[in-house]
Amino acid sequence: MQLNSLNLNYWAIAPEVITSVAAVLIMLVDAFSKKGARKVNAGITLVGLLLAVVAVAGLNSVGQGSYFSGMVVVDPIRVFFSVTILIVSIVVTLLASQFLRDEALPPGEFFALILFATAGMLLLAGAGDLVTVFLGLEIASITTYVMAGYRRYDARASESSLKYFLLGSFATAFLLYGMALVYGATRTTTIAGINQAISEGKVEFPALLMVGAALMLVGFGFKIASAPFHLWTPDVYEGAPTIVTGFMGTAPKAAVFAAFLHVFTQGFNAGGPLGDQLHHVWVTAIAIIAALTMTVGNVVALSQKNIKRMLAYSSIAHAGYALVGFITSDAAPVAFYMLVYSIMSVGAFAVVQLLARAGDQKTETADYAGIGFETPALSFALAIFLFSLAGIPPTAGFMSKFFIFKSAWDLAPNLHWLVVVAVINSIISVYYYLYPIVVMFFRPLAPGFVKPRISTMTAVALILTLIGTFYLGILPNRVMSAIGHSARMAQVQVGLPYSQVANK
Amino acid sequence: MNLITITTFLPLIGAILLVLLSLRGSENQKAANNLYRYATLAITLVTFVVSLLILAKFDNGNKLAQLVQRTPWIGSLGVYYHVGVDGLSIWLILLTTFLMPISVLASWHVTKRVREYMIFMLVLETGMIGVFASLDMFLFYIFFEITLIPMYFLIGVWGGERRIYAAIKFFVYTVVGSLLMLVAIIAIYFYNGKATGSYSFDIVEITNNIQAGYQTGKLVIPGSVQTWLWLAFALAFFIKVPLFPFHTWLPDAHVEAPTAGSIILAGVLLKMGTYGLMRFNLPFFPEVSQKAAPWVMTLAVIGIIYGALVAMVQPDMKKLVAYSSVSHLGFVVLGIFAFTDQGMQGALYQMLAHGISTGALFLGVGIVYDRRHTRQIADFGGIATPMPQYTTLFLIVALSSLGLPLLNGFIGEFLILLGTFTSPVPHAKLFAVLAALGVILSAVYLLWMIQRVFFGEITKKENEELKDMDGREVLAMVPLVVLAIVMGVRPMVFLRGSEKAVTQVKEYVMGKPAPAKVAENHQER
Repeated sequence: MQLNSLNLNYWAIAPEVITSVAAVLIMLVDAFSKKGARKVNAGITLVGLLLAVVAVAGLNSVGQGSYFSGMVVVDPIRVFFSVTILIVSIVVTLLASQFLRDEALPPGEFFALILFATAGMLLLAGAGDLVTVFLGLEIASITTYVMAGYRRYDARASESSLKYFLLGSFATAFLLYGMALVYGATRTTTIAGINQAISEGKVEFPALLMVGAALMLVGFGFKIASAPFHLWTPDVYEGAPTIVTGFMGTAPKAAVFAAFLHVFTQGFNAGGPLGDQLHHVWVTAIAIIAALTMTVGNVVALSQKNIKRMLAYSSIAHAGYALVGFITSDAAPVAFYMLVYSIMSVGAFAVVQLLARAGDQKTETADYAGIGFETPALSFALAIFLFSLAGIPPTAGFMSKFFIFKSAWDLAPNLHWLVVVAVINSIISVYYYLYPIVVMFFRPLAPGFVKPRISTMTAVALILTLIGTFYLGILPNRVMSAIGHSARMAQVQVGLPYSQVANK
Repeated sequence: MNLITITTFLPLIGAILLVLLSLRGSENQKAANNLYRYATLAITLVTFVVSLLILAKFDNGNKLAQLVQRTPWIGSLGVYYHVGVDGLSIWLILLTTFLMPISVLASWHVTKRVREYMIFMLVLETGMIGVFASLDMFLFYIFFEITLIPMYFLIGVWGGERRIYAAIKFFVYTVVGSLLMLVAIIAIYFYNGKATGSYSFDIVEITNNIQAGYQTGKLVIPGSVQTWLWLAFALAFFIKVPLFPFHTWLPDAHVEAPTAGSIILAGVLLKMGTYGLMRFNLPFFPEVSQKAAPWVMTLAVIGIIYGALVAMVQPDMKKLVAYSSVSHLGFVVLGIFAFTDQGMQGALYQMLAHGISTGALFLGVGIVYDRRHTRQIADFGGIATPMPQYTTLFLIVALSSLGLPLLNGFIGEFLILLGTFTSPVPHAKLFAVLAALGVILSAVYLLWMIQRVFFGEITKKENEELKDMDGREVLAMVPLVVLAIVMGVRPMVFLRGSEKAVTQVKEYVMGKPAPAKVAENHQER
């Protein structure tokens, strides 16, 4: 094999390289510096992440296509999801500084873990091959297992970490087994190659492909916490330090969605009789999973007394909404949804983190009684994030749901019922998202409330997420057109492309 | 700048200014609170003046939307920032801007978190004006939802004892309706786009396309789904109106809301429902609307009589007024679904009249509540002696609400009954006769309340020394009373503006030919 046919281009993996190098740098700095290099480490992390953003922006000039013999791809899905992941990482880094100081936890490893996790997730989002999918997933997962148990003295955190590890490994096994079977059926592990093999009818054991795809669906389903594979989520989310919950509830989910989109809407979305059959089966399966996920997430969230558990179930529900968009194979609304969900969710967790105090003592909804006007900056921010999660305009949550519903209604005419199920679920969700607002603003103040201190970096993180929530809710045009490339590609089967509407 | 855009966003700008204003020291809370009150009053008054300019520029003879602004907003969806006024919306916008300063005056006694209160009031005003001004479905939906949040907080934070229950009920009821409406909006967007090749949420454009579809026989929205879409819109608006049996959130919300909240709720928010029916249900789905008319009228008549009967037995004055709203809004829906010029004109007129009279009634109840902290009819009696001015003004308002000739309520109810009687809808005459019972019942419950509250011997010692209205209260009440009289004496001033738009809506439903012929068609179907 000739070397240039491998299409080596290091710019195509620049974001992953930068974040990994920054992580190694932090470990070195941490090893050689005295205790308390927290600010230096945070600075390095931020610089690394910002450079990665630049590198992601530069991906467009690298050119779309696959690199490293198909291991890595550059396409709008990757670019967009990479930005989402990096935004979450930046916000979490901003929050981590105060968290680590308040709880007197060692700062070095935490930032290194964030960076390694980010590198893994970026790789996952850019994976063009099942092997890279696995690689990225493992890097991201193992680091988040550790982060979940970062508060080592805390039994809940250790339990959370262990549960996350066991069930995560279980899910990975499913995924890996599925990959092996798909490889057996198609004799290739690249996503483009799988597509080609299916459409050209070169699959020798169709049953193997079907079972493999089903196992991979289960594996991905575990990772994005869709029902009925969601049972690990609430315990893990509740036990982990809130800031970690905010991180693992958003960024890894977005990254897995990117890989999920690549594998299913590109790999398993091929022509030919077998391809049609496979496509029909997975669309039906995901439609059912989506309906189940939304319903389970929302209905169980109704009865939660702990705000972290409530947000955990809400994150399950949101994965369900995103899956509604998934069935159309139109990546743009899903990508937009995951961006919006990540921003508003990490924002909400940031407020919860601040109000919970060190050691996550105050995470019951009852602890929030009457704080509304006592700490207006935090409570109004949380209220805005909750309204956004509930999908009330003019917040981003509404706009993202709107894009999902519109896309599903348009491109999946036989699945209109799913849109109706999603809307009914949105109605249910309003009730439990309103509840903390009721408690915060309409109830008398609970005794013993101490106003949390908000550090500058935390304030910056909150302001960023708030601006994002309103910006994407009121002026989504620019961001949507940034992912519009992929949208337009999927739009071919519809009567009128977006561009024509826009130019009218 | 477009006048309507200014009117819509002026209160929001005011709200943002108030948010920023707080950053300054809060040593003297009392002075600061007064500053917030006067600032808000000034903003709402300026908004009212600007809205008067809209009225001055409005051309009564034009049936199309005027003072239009249309700017691309979300290009990929074909969403425009498209606002304008026509005969349906002009008076409702003015009603909103007129009631707001009065509501601010009515909130002068609020001492808890004055700044936040005023911010929510101003945001609410922007939302309400936006609903009536929007000519794009997407924009309409956003404003429709935006009104929810401030009202939710106004009830929840500044409301009465059961405020939490009332606030949640209000929010959840409305959201149930509006989210289903969202699905219908998306569906119409695609049906219209596929039929015409132009994907847009533009209300004017879609209305024209749908109507043209009836002329050419190529329906924009297939007949099979029209019923569902009609229902989705109708549910959202019926809940908002509220039409029996979707009314149960209303008494709770009204009773628990602060006085200003009740004034706005009754005066404006309920009209968003009836306005929506005229703006969407009738022009978009003429056939379904015709078929549904007898059923809707049945519900409306039940609402009229049921609301009046329940109002009659209320021991609480505010609840009585709340149920009278159910009854009066029943008239409005009846008039809309009569599909006659008089009926719809009457409905629009009744919306305004109800906004004025019921707003004034809530204001009146709030005035005695501020003094006695009770609203129970049994706690009063004979207060005409200590409060003669108050009694006079309240009596005029009550008489206008029950439809005494030469006051505003009479014009609306008379036109509605006339319009219903001549309506082509089956059994319309029966509905008109039954609805007329509601007029009588409204006289019963209002006059009975007046008798028990104002006249007779003073039974409670606390009531002997009640202070009459102060300058601020008079200032809030008198404009409403004056307007009630003006609307009763010179109705044409107001009716002229909506005439063309109403005829247009009627033609959308009934088609151009003479009503008699359409009636035959209807019976064949």
